[in-house]
Amino acid sequence: MGGRAGSVGLAGLFGAEPDRVWALAGQYGARLGPALRSLASVGGGAGAGLGVRSAPWGLSWGCPRRSPSPRSVSAGVAGGGGGGGSNDFQWCFSQVKGAIDEDVAEADIISTVEFNYSGDLLATGDKGGRVVIFQREQENKSRPHSRGEYNVYSTFQSHEPEFDYLKSLEIEEKINKIRWLPQQNAAHFLLSTNDKTIKLWKISERDKRAEGYNLKDEDGRLRDPFRITSLRVPILKPMDLMVEASPRRIFANAHTYHINSISVNSDHETYLSADDLRINLWHLEITDRSFNIVDIKPANMEELTEVITAAEFHPHHCNVFVYSSSKGTIRLCDMRSSALCDRHSKFFEEPEDPSSRSFFSEIISSISDVKFSHSGRYMMTRDYLSVKVWDLNMENRPVETYQVHEYLRSKLCSLYENDCIFDKFECCWNGSDSAIMTGSYNNFFRMFDRNTRRDITLEASRESSKPRAILKPRKVCTGGKRKKDEISVDSLDFNKKILHTAWHPTENIIAVAATNNLYIFQDKIN
Amino acid sequence: MLGRGLKRKLSDYEENMAGLSSAFDSSRNLPYPLKRQLVLNMCLTKLQTYKMLVEPNLHRSVLIANTVRQIQEEMRQESSQQPINVCSGIAPNPHSYPGIDSSGISLHLPSGSSQQESNCCNSWFAEGPIENSLLMVSDDDMSSAISSILKDLDFMEDISPPTALVPAGDDELLKSPENTCLKLEDDRQDLKGAECVFGSFEISNSTSYLKDLAIDDIFEDIDTSMYDSDFCSPLLMAPRPPAAATEETLKTFPSCNSSSTNNIQICRTDLSELDHIMEILVGS
Repeated sequence: MGGRAGSVGLAGLFGAEPDRVWALAGQYGARLGPALRSLASVGGGAGAGLGVRSAPWGLSWGCPRRSPSPRSVSAGVAGGGGGGGSNDFQWCFSQVKGAIDEDVAEADIISTVEFNYSGDLLATGDKGGRVVIFQREQENKSRPHSRGEYNVYSTFQSHEPEFDYLKSLEIEEKINKIRWLPQQNAAHFLLSTNDKTIKLWKISERDKRAEGYNLKDEDGRLRDPFRITSLRVPILKPMDLMVEASPRRIFANAHTYHINSISVNSDHETYLSADDLRINLWHLEITDRSFNIVDIKPANMEELTEVITAAEFHPHHCNVFVYSSSKGTIRLCDMRSSALCDRHSKFFEEPEDPSSRSFFSEIISSISDVKFSHSGRYMMTRDYLSVKVWDLNMENRPVETYQVHEYLRSKLCSLYENDCIFDKFECCWNGSDSAIMTGSYNNFFRMFDRNTRRDITLEASRESSKPRAILKPRKVCTGGKRKKDEISVDSLDFNKKILHTAWHPTENIIAVAATNNLYIFQDKIN
Repeated sequence: MLGRGLKRKLSDYEENMAGLSSAFDSSRNLPYPLKRQLVLNMCLTKLQTYKMLVEPNLHRSVLIANTVRQIQEEMRQESSQQPINVCSGIAPNPHSYPGIDSSGISLHLPSGSSQQESNCCNSWFAEGPIENSLLMVSDDDMSSAISSILKDLDFMEDISPPTALVPAGDDELLKSPENTCLKLEDDRQDLKGAECVFGSFEISNSTSYLKDLAIDDIFEDIDTSMYDSDFCSPLLMAPRPPAAATEETLKTFPSCNSSSTNNIQICRTDLSELDHIMEILVGS
């Protein structure tokens, strides 16, 4: 069933024209989503006709991979300002979490943000080693237009500061990464890591408790056995919901250098952890062994010129993973080829543009994040000034390059001097892989629509934090006359950096970490 | 200027550097070698700072070291293309180059004689106050940065002629015009210095502590006034933490010639015996 035929069919169900279906879909996403999913599963072809791409965690009905017409809704990114037409939607403020204080405690700085597979849970880790999980409230039937809010579900101390006595070094408790495991039962599992140790946490709910024990009374005091005259069976009584987090596995002592990435495999049994020079493969059940699959440490450390900066498993092929380097290259490895994947299967590198060469060329080419698309066909890399989308079948150059903040290219020396040039920005895909998002300075973050090639700059600030307030696009003035509402490059606050962002796996909800605050934005519903 | 956010106290050096990096970014008139020198200074300063940290960041150190290598390679290629015209950064004329180079990093100027050097220097200084401050600000810091990197050279296996090692602040050696031809070796030393930043990243980080600790320092608290060796007493008495500098001082002493190494070993053997005797006496 082709795209058009299917959409006509489904539109026929709604009694509307095909383009109108998309407009409706964009605006009433939350309500139509489940409906469309069930239609797709029953009708089979209807879902395919919509261009729905299946994903392990459920159908992602987002926007089609190729827009049927230029006017159709691109569910991935906001249109610009006012004149976009009714089909374009806009981002608006939903919530902000965190203290309002100007004085930011170091421990409260958010260091990682991650939605789980369903998008109902949102986890953040901070420099103080704490993990805070937010859960999306079930939608209120009486207020169908308001989306569910995210409220605190669980908070726990994942990592404590440690002291390595052998090297006389303190190991930071900062959470570098959190990765969720797919849900298999009522409990939720996630992996969290600091520089040296990875922990598997189980988050479970308890809403019943047993009453009527024989050996203890209601206060918990032990009864004297001789006083028990009759036996009873304890009964379960409801109680206030309690969410408990307990560490189920601790994977330690496998990394000499600082862990920068963890990635759960599509087999849901193994995961990888990567530090500056090595990548290890773990089984989730086994904590006392890990396999080293990549080792780029030279025999003589003086010959070291390159480190590993990020690594990720392919979303569908459990034998494939990629790792990026500080030289701007990405290597794709197949674990079937050999036990030690020092020799890559594919090597991705874009030849340098000689006209833009500077002293800092190598530093800004260092890749800070690599993410596969949900489809598994593309991957995205973030270096200091740009985001690049690579087709896994083409190694010699990216298929798309997006400039995040090109106006910083003329400021590289100053940024090098104050170490900002080493900031590691992350990037993320939306659920349908039609849009990508990454952060910048001055609490700005950028979104790029891959289909329409439009981009937008938004700001996470308290000023635009009124409920359901539409975010105004921002613009940086690069030279010449500064227009009203534009901000000049020299006025940017380089201490306000957005390094961590996350996009809901199926809906247009984004989480943006701005220092110690977590902003949640949603698309606007009429 | 960048960065509105948190205030921080800047030392004089940092203030100068901040001004310089702004100048780098905004000025188009800054000559390329000067820009390159500025970047090199910043890189070496950062490496120096990282070395003082308990646990330096490997990623950043690699990136900075690669930048240093790239600049040094460029300088080396330029100097190999113009061997005659290499101007010694170590100018005998005290009026030129107050800044750069007791430590072996030199600017290149197309001149061959010291007279022309002075003229060139003057024309350089005519560029403006920014360039002056660039040349002047980094002297002490550069020297200390380079000397600490050179300290690590002690542990390199490569053996270079002693005169190529330029101790910080030792003006006597610098005045020699023969040092011009040693500049290339200096570059190589610095390169190796940059490379061996990673020596301390080895798994057994604790060994870096041991490396920094000169063997002679262990014996410093032993009273050797009774010990009548002419060779070793300056070695022990000199309060010089860097082992490299100590070794070099030893080598430059006229009394310590090629047999100096043997003398050191004799000293150490005797000292260990002395230690043993002390232990018996103290009864520990």
